[in-house]
Amino acid sequence: MKYEILPWLILFLPLLSVVVITLFTLRSKTVSSLISIGAVVASFILTVIFIHANGFPSTHGVIYTDAKSLNLANETSVNWLTIGNLSVDFGLKLDALSLMMVLIVTGVGGLIHIYSYGYMDEDHSKSRFFAFLSLFTFSMLGIVLANNFLMMFIFWELVGVSSYLLIGFWFEKPSAGDAAKKAFITNRLGDFGFLAGILTFWAMSGTVGFTGLEAWASSGISFGPITMGSGMTLAALLIFCGATGKSAQFPLHVWLPDAMEGPTPVSALIHAATMVAAGVYMLCRTLFLFNAESLHIISYIGGFTALLAALIAVQQNDIKRIIAYSTLSQLGYMVMVVGLNGPTPAMFHLTTHAFFKALLFLSAGSVIIGMHHEQNIWQMGNLRKKMPITFWTFLIGALALSGIPPFAGFYSKDSILAQCLEQKSYLLFGVAVFIAGLTAFYTFRLFFVVFSGKEKSDHAKHAHESPLVMTAPLMILAVFAAIGGFIGVWNDYGSQFIGEHNNWDPLSFTQQLFEPLKSPVAMFIGIGVALAGIFLAFSLYKNAASDPLPAKLGALATWMKNKFYFDELYEATFIRAHDFLAAVADWIDRWILEGAIIGAIRGGTDLSGRALRLAQTGNLQTYTILFVLGVVLLLYFVLGK
Amino acid sequence: MSILTYIAGWPLLAALALIVVPRNYRVIIRAIAVLATLISAVLAVKMFCQFIPGANGFQFEQQISWVESLGISYHVGVDGLNVGLILMGAIVAFAAALCSWEIQTREKEFYILLLVMTGGILGAFASLDLFFFYFLHELALVPTFIMIGVWGRGEKKNYATFQITLYLSIGALIALIGLIALYLQSGANTFDIPKIIEHAKTNPLAVNAQNFIFPLLLFGFGILVSLWPFHSWAPLGYGVAPSPTAMLHAGVLKKFGLYGLIRIALPLLPQAAQSWAHVIAWLCVGNILYVGWVAMRQKDLNLLIGNSSVAHMGFIFLGIASLNLIGVTGAVLIMVAHGFLAALTFALSGYIYKQTGTLQISELGGLCRKLPFIGTALLMAAMAGCGLPGFANFWGEATVFFGAWKMFPAITVIALWGALVIGGIYMTRAIRNILHGPLPEKWDLLSDASNVWRKLPYALLLVSLLVFGFVPKLLTEKINPDAQKIVTMVMSQGSTAAPAVVISAPLTSSVLADVASAKAPAAGALPETVSIGNRQLAIENK
Repeated sequence: MKYEILPWLILFLPLLSVVVITLFTLRSKTVSSLISIGAVVASFILTVIFIHANGFPSTHGVIYTDAKSLNLANETSVNWLTIGNLSVDFGLKLDALSLMMVLIVTGVGGLIHIYSYGYMDEDHSKSRFFAFLSLFTFSMLGIVLANNFLMMFIFWELVGVSSYLLIGFWFEKPSAGDAAKKAFITNRLGDFGFLAGILTFWAMSGTVGFTGLEAWASSGISFGPITMGSGMTLAALLIFCGATGKSAQFPLHVWLPDAMEGPTPVSALIHAATMVAAGVYMLCRTLFLFNAESLHIISYIGGFTALLAALIAVQQNDIKRIIAYSTLSQLGYMVMVVGLNGPTPAMFHLTTHAFFKALLFLSAGSVIIGMHHEQNIWQMGNLRKKMPITFWTFLIGALALSGIPPFAGFYSKDSILAQCLEQKSYLLFGVAVFIAGLTAFYTFRLFFVVFSGKEKSDHAKHAHESPLVMTAPLMILAVFAAIGGFIGVWNDYGSQFIGEHNNWDPLSFTQQLFEPLKSPVAMFIGIGVALAGIFLAFSLYKNAASDPLPAKLGALATWMKNKFYFDELYEATFIRAHDFLAAVADWIDRWILEGAIIGAIRGGTDLSGRALRLAQTGNLQTYTILFVLGVVLLLYFVLGK
Repeated sequence: MSILTYIAGWPLLAALALIVVPRNYRVIIRAIAVLATLISAVLAVKMFCQFIPGANGFQFEQQISWVESLGISYHVGVDGLNVGLILMGAIVAFAAALCSWEIQTREKEFYILLLVMTGGILGAFASLDLFFFYFLHELALVPTFIMIGVWGRGEKKNYATFQITLYLSIGALIALIGLIALYLQSGANTFDIPKIIEHAKTNPLAVNAQNFIFPLLLFGFGILVSLWPFHSWAPLGYGVAPSPTAMLHAGVLKKFGLYGLIRIALPLLPQAAQSWAHVIAWLCVGNILYVGWVAMRQKDLNLLIGNSSVAHMGFIFLGIASLNLIGVTGAVLIMVAHGFLAALTFALSGYIYKQTGTLQISELGGLCRKLPFIGTALLMAAMAGCGLPGFANFWGEATVFFGAWKMFPAITVIALWGALVIGGIYMTRAIRNILHGPLPEKWDLLSDASNVWRKLPYALLLVSLLVFGFVPKLLTEKINPDAQKIVTMVMSQGSTAAPAVVISAPLTSSVLADVASAKAPAAGALPETVSIGNRQLAIENK
């Protein structure tokens, strides 16, 4: 491979930026932000150069016959530590999958960095913000490039902590501090399973490297019992736990909406485009470890999450929370299709989703800034005139999300629906179609309430368009949200996952454009429900001053609005249980271990002292008697024998 | 003269010198103490860099015969097991001396005791002679009690001093009985540890004797390390101790018991170690899970840190109990990492206490705004405390998990829960309540660590954690060969562990057996450890 040094630079430039900002430039907001932006943009350019030189190499499906060929598989690594048969490399895996993700992370991430320069302009901790952003970029690139499980786990944790820092960026707000804490702990729950899964696979295979594991899995599967083994399913589901945490799948989905307490660029970068995609990426990266049983369970969890989140999104009123639940729902889509053995559609949707969801979040951020930090959509209205650029970019994002051709989301969503049909999973197909309709509905509910109708508050009357540093990234993202479906993304992932199995040729531009026609049923149903959803939203919300839906849905609306009470449920079970156990342990510690043991020692010493005191009467006669007794005893022992 | 003698000698010498310095020459007293510990630390770094990993026998060795009839000699030397500990101890001692600016009464006595403690503990880690090993530890232990009793803070000071003195004296006494019994039973007629071990290779101790001595050492040393359920002295003691004392004791002195277990008990009492391994493993559930819960409940920052420190000891015990190369290496790794971490957290809580006069978590809040440096350091310490990668603790805990997984899958799962979830909960709660949220008005006048000297101890400890977190190899390649020797000694002398390995892995063994032949080349022909050697053998026989 040419320029093998480049991936290392790509990975470490953001870290360098963290170090420089933290140590030297914390005082200067401008310098710090420029360093951070420079690092991520440089990483992006280097990625492009590297891909230009090497193309998108694919390693999937190569059969490894001996240990030697392991080193040839598009990896570059140094040994991190070796203890006995635990060998951990710091290695970079450079194939179509990871390089495309690097492009997304640095490309979309770079745009969000630039946008943040404008968005965070007035914040007095701007330097800290950009240091955290760079730390996040570094960690995310680490996950993407990792060539082994343990290294991925390490960066996984680092992503968790950078997300914690960024959600809690405005730490003086109690709600931000709470949200950060919640995100961290929920992610930790997933990581617990993830690490246990890594340990299990390591114990079975003796390696944590992806290449080694793939070789092990492919040889093991052909030997028979391993595919059916319950150990294999269990281990795979443990790994999936990690994805559940990061990609916010049921039952660990509760942290993502709260994470909207962070600044909006953070929501766009971490909680839409990259970090939450890590779980899906990890599943695709390690798909060879998942057997049919575990995939089956995964697909249903994904489908359920998608449905649940879409329902909740219908009744939210905070502009960011609506998009957050939409993110949850789309992630559920991706996880579902991974479970249906479709890594290519999953990654395809992940990529287009990164474009249009980042676009939606950033547009929402622009709205929020224009509205002087008002986030309730029922305070907005008629922003079309005041914020024309934001209006158009938001519209493109919304159309893409709803799956209207020829926007990017249409192609990827269609590939998911087609995969459901191909796998003959009609139940999930039905669910997916229903969600597609809901998605279009809640997206355009948001759109109509915010951008059309009457101004619903004074802020809306005085809203203003954002500066160019913010609108330029919006426009670039809008272009990709529009054309992302047919610029070769599918080919890239296809070469990774379908490629070398069955003589697969990349699609030409025209073929890509008309790819959905291969599965016309999925396509027409998909477009149909999307249009229906938009029409319904239009008729309900075109000029609405308040939400007409609660009256129509009754109790269901309340449940939706309250997120089906999952927060309350967890509060009452998980948190309570731990606090209860903590109280019990503390009580035992205080009163039994400490009190009783110390008491026993002290009491024992005290008691023996008191007992001995009885002998010390001060009475001369007693002493004489004891003395004589002693002499008698002594004489008996000495002479008596 | 060996560099080790200087490392332990300078602080002791400085303590002697301080006796003649008049008590109102405060600056000079402080300068001498800081300088002596600085020299120790620099020498320790030098020694650490010059150490050759995997070299045969001990390095920087020195032996001066003393009481020949009993076989007592002054014998110091390092191998992979203690080289990191001495480095950590010397750096922590320097940081503790720097942090001692918070002591404002009877400074002379305080610095003398601090230096004696430093010299004693560094000497104990360097000693290869049972007598000095024990004696120097006691030399360091006694000042702890005095320092807590005299310079301690809070209402519970007397009770805490009473408790810690009682517990640690009893622990040390039980360990002493064990060591004397060991000396008598070994038949080597020497206090020299390498010689006893060499002797035991050909004349192993009788199993009866082993089974009698091992618990003495386990519980004696265990009490010193706050092994559950003998841990309640630790949080309370650290809660009232002046922060330099807490730093040195929690960070360095506490590791003595663990070091003793690995250095003496494992190689000399291998069969007993194997039969007690399960007991240790279950006791450490007490440390990790139970004390983790207790930590969740604490309302005082120091008690929280103290409990979390006790919980961390559980991971080390788990590593030791796994009796294989990965686990033991991980245990030593955590010992070093936790030393830096415990010192850092107690130093930070000391700073906050000095500024606010309270460590009640409910009283604090929003401190990150007024104390950006201290706050950031505390945040990083809390993250290191819940096992975040990037800090040395992560590698220790991760390797312990890998080591213990095959022996004790259930306990490892519990340990994972303790490390990732419970640790995460109490640490983020503490951060939320101390650093985040609105700043109460009364703390408007707090001031951050401003000059370089104030920042240095925290920065030094943080950098140490980060260096070993990013480049764990610096430690593991040193620990590895010598941990291997210990493990080989344990495993070569007993076959009782073999069934334990097989029984504990019902989930994986059949699977492994099926694919072993297929995956062997793919796994890259990694060197097999002794720990799984038994199993490997079984597979080949199949």
